[in-house]
Amino acid sequence: MTISMVNPSGNLREQMPFLTKMERVIVSMQDPDVGMKMRNQRLLITVIPHAMTGSDIVSWLTQKYAITEEEALHIGNFLVKYGYIYPLKEPRNLCLKQDESPYRFQTPYYWTSTRWPASEMDYAIYLAKKNIRKQGELIDYEKECYNVLHKRINHTWDFVVMQAREQLRASKQRRKADRLVLEYQEQAYWLVNRPPPGAMEVLEWGPERGSIANPRVQLVTGHCFFLNNACVCECSFVKYCEQYQDHDPIMQGCLPSNPWITDDIMYWNMNSETAVMPTKLRVERWSFSFMKLLNDPLGQKEFLIYLEKEFSAENLLFWQACEDVQHGETSRIADKVDEVYKQYLAPGASNWVNIDSKTMESTLEGIHQPNRFVLYDAQRHIYFLMKKDSYPRYLKSEQYKNLLEKAIVPQETKKSVFPFMRRQRHSSPSPALLTQAGDDDGKALSSSVRLDL
Amino acid sequence: MGKEECKTMLDALNKVTACYRHLVSALGSTSDSQNLREELKKTRKKAQELAVANRTKLTALLKDKTISNDDRAEYERLWVLFTSSMEILEVDMKRSLEIGQDFPLKVPTRHFIQTGMTGSTTTVASRAMSVQNMKYEADANIDLTDLRDLEAEIAQVDQMMEDMEMKVQVAPWAVEAKQEAGAELRSTASIGNSSVGVISLCEEETKERGSWTDGEAGLMRVFAGIIFTVVLLIAGILGYLIINL
Repeated sequence: MTISMVNPSGNLREQMPFLTKMERVIVSMQDPDVGMKMRNQRLLITVIPHAMTGSDIVSWLTQKYAITEEEALHIGNFLVKYGYIYPLKEPRNLCLKQDESPYRFQTPYYWTSTRWPASEMDYAIYLAKKNIRKQGELIDYEKECYNVLHKRINHTWDFVVMQAREQLRASKQRRKADRLVLEYQEQAYWLVNRPPPGAMEVLEWGPERGSIANPRVQLVTGHCFFLNNACVCECSFVKYCEQYQDHDPIMQGCLPSNPWITDDIMYWNMNSETAVMPTKLRVERWSFSFMKLLNDPLGQKEFLIYLEKEFSAENLLFWQACEDVQHGETSRIADKVDEVYKQYLAPGASNWVNIDSKTMESTLEGIHQPNRFVLYDAQRHIYFLMKKDSYPRYLKSEQYKNLLEKAIVPQETKKSVFPFMRRQRHSSPSPALLTQAGDDDGKALSSSVRLDL
Repeated sequence: MGKEECKTMLDALNKVTACYRHLVSALGSTSDSQNLREELKKTRKKAQELAVANRTKLTALLKDKTISNDDRAEYERLWVLFTSSMEILEVDMKRSLEIGQDFPLKVPTRHFIQTGMTGSTTTVASRAMSVQNMKYEADANIDLTDLRDLEAEIAQVDQMMEDMEMKVQVAPWAVEAKQEAGAELRSTASIGNSSVGVISLCEEETKERGSWTDGEAGLMRVFAGIIFTVVLLIAGILGYLIINL
């Protein structure tokens, strides 16, 4: 399938606000009472209604929005450049002339839209149609585009040709005046969206920015057709928030007490890496993801004990050794890699780890030129092995469950009865307080001096 | 044979897609009306029926493991045709929902864009439905009810396309098109370029090339020549009659 309407980040674009504003101006021009005055366009034989002159447009804008003529000309220029109004006399010159040159409104389907950008396939169909109509006499840049598209979307080229023929046959069903208008419209649309070389490209996109504000996203799945990657991110974000709700010290408060408020550092002591007995919340967090378990040194210790019982402790030891190589000193890398090889990878090693043969081969080759990341593949393999295999079993094991029960739930320290009582401070007083005290002294001095006078 | 059937069904789907696109481009303009909304609805339904029929047929053919490699390549090409058609249909359906919501019919003052199109789209719709005359039987608030249906149908189409992507393993980029560049120029005798109005449209853009202005001048010359000969003939006949009477 061709990548058409959905941009690479997967989100549906929103219509840019300036385009919505222009659309509103155009719609207000259609008012039967106070809207634009329409004239007829006379071609050789046919008469097509709904044309207007440039000066009409400028005078209408001046009157409606009570602005100067210059500003009206400027706004009118935008309307033409962005394809909401197209000129009839010189189609390639997309600017508003304040004279008798005729213009016409563009149909809503062909309005410039960031939500529905013009696709390659549509342009190819248009060029094919033009090719048919003009018997092969395309303009140079159009010929180039045609050839480029033929190569680029070659797999749908049959469809392009079929569709071009059918669209021409469909438009032949309309009467002549309408057919002409259709051609004008389409030509104007493609002049805006695929401008000829040298013309300004109005819809130039900067580097793609992910749009977080997608107000139509609904979390309830159903027939909401805006459900896309943005919603998946939102769902996982909501899940993350729910999961960590109880663990967040700001939302739930932290027990025993927030050290920043009460100056009591028991919270830090209890959660430190060297604590013997972990808190209950900490142990719960190990069940959120394997990475969380491994990031906590206490968690690693517990997991190692469990793995020793299962006779697969070498996996974790290997993983730890690899981490050491990755994050350790450069000078010692060669030695460490050698050690790892002797202990874990050599055939008949004491702590031989079970890696698949392809990874083993590539690792053994790489060991001859040891660098920081030579063991990365093997480490990842073992990581996923542990994650899929041992980690779920650990979470279901007796050891983990016992630990969860025995874990401490610290008591909340009693709040002092006298809130303004001076507490024993362990840390040095804040410099802000020192300067304030100094100011107070200064003010007292100066006021006492004045009183004396 | 399976291939021929597939091709005719795909042609039909292609035709309906083109007509649907034509109808959607008329939404919100002065050729919009209750009839247009009904035409859109009917064309859409027809397109969906064809799409489902095509899909079942093609998936059945592609799942068959006993076909030859050439056949398989051909079916994959047809599959790519089908998916491209569906993409266009999907986008057009979504756009018609958007434009339909922005330009409702049942408001005291309609602000439809005056685009210069004033004819009706009946002929296009009858081409899509392959009928001689279109019958209009919808009730007054078709635009609201239709939009609700449209939303549901868009969801259905989305679902169908997802299923298709998942279930059928066809690599679209591996398909080679049968037509080469410029193929549309052949066998297009019926889609000639004979309207005088088009000449006036392209006048400005092709001023730098002499071909069109020459062509136009040539046409006028031929026209003038024909009129001259007719006048001469009439003068000759009258003179002959006068002399003989």
